Amino acid sequence: MNAPLTESGALGPLGALIMAPLIGFAFGWFLERGGLGNARKLAGQFYLTDLTVFKVLFSALLTAMLGAFWLDVLGVLDLSLVYLPETFVLPQAIGGVLFGAGFLVAGLCPGTSCVAAASGHMDGLGVIGGMLLGVIAFNLVFDRIAAFYDSTPLGAVTLTDLVGVPHGFGIAVVAAVALVGFAVAARIERTRA
Amino acid sequence: MNGLHRTLATVAAVLAAGAAATELGPRVDPVRLAAEIDAERDHISAPELAKRIMARDPTLHIFDLRSPEEYEQLHIPSARLATLDQLARQPLPRTASVVLYSEGGTHAAQAWLLLRMRGYENVAFLREGLYEWIARVLEPRLAVDATPTERTDFQSAAELSRFFGGVPRAEVPREEVPSGYWSNREAGQPAVAKATAETVKGLRRRGC
Repeated sequence: MNAPLTESGALGPLGALIMAPLIGFAFGWFLERGGLGNARKLAGQFYLTDLTVFKVLFSALLTAMLGAFWLDVLGVLDLSLVYLPETFVLPQAIGGVLFGAGFLVAGLCPGTSCVAAASGHMDGLGVIGGMLLGVIAFNLVFDRIAAFYDSTPLGAVTLTDLVGVPHGFGIAVVAAVALVGFAVAARIERTRA
Repeated sequence: MNGLHRTLATVAAVLAAGAAATELGPRVDPVRLAAEIDAERDHISAPELAKRIMARDPTLHIFDLRSPEEYEQLHIPSARLATLDQLARQPLPRTASVVLYSEGGTHAAQAWLLLRMRGYENVAFLREGLYEWIARVLEPRLAVDATPTERTDFQSAAELSRFFGGVPRAEVPREEVPSGYWSNREAGQPAVAKATAETVKGLRRRGC
């Protein structure tokens, strides 16, 4: 067993500090190459004129999901050591709606705003500024919404735990949804082009 | 959709179908489980576990099935707290070597069965739980009237004990030597149970 490298000790704290920006830059580079530094392209997702966001993010999800599952089966990655964030149904649902509204208005999300700014789009800088203001505002009112923030907890669960099916079956279903989604996206783009 | 997309989609579909197929594999045969239990391949001794922890075996996953309070008080180094429910769901690497323990052996034995039913091959439990760890690793004792074999065994046990911050005790009265399946006497004698409780308290004082 050698992964996750930070947990098995193969990658010390310094190694992790070096790897984190490298992975971050690689992520940004691929987002830019995928065309996600362009607000018009991103907003096109919501008007169903350009489904790049769906295709890029679902490809990433599919790759990570299949990669993590098979590396675990092959004994390279210990999935039980991979951090699983906790679920809080209502606060996260409302957070998701707010995030989506912000995404639509700005045409960029947190990651893509950095990519847009780095590739010289001024709107990217504007979104980063707005995001920082949002972070400050959230922290200023946090005490008042703390109870809501921790409400409706489900713990650290996966989709398959929640539905009660084995991981392998869940993976097959998500992969099938993604592949059908890609085909439908391609068709929509062709008819709208 | 160009050729590359088609190839990638096919690879993803094959990997996803393979993922589903891993769940269809042959379920564990109860007869085989019974044979493993009969052959005593379902448990590991405390000194053997201690040696594997010392060797920093990277495949080793130790789970403590007791309450969080008991875990806080004392647990085997590198053990993680787990409930039966978590062990029934939590994904583990297929190659993981799992060791389970509870206060006695019941919960750990039930967890052993759960994990074996989930298809994990390399699972074992401490037959007498944390008591065995304390009795054989943290606080091994040598009786005043020990046999030469017992004296030799005690030497290696004492070495192991010191590694884990334990206190080996030599030349104690015979009735204060912890016993269990590994010795010829029955486990859980009142004097020993009391001594075990005192050990836990003592270890807490030392901040272990």
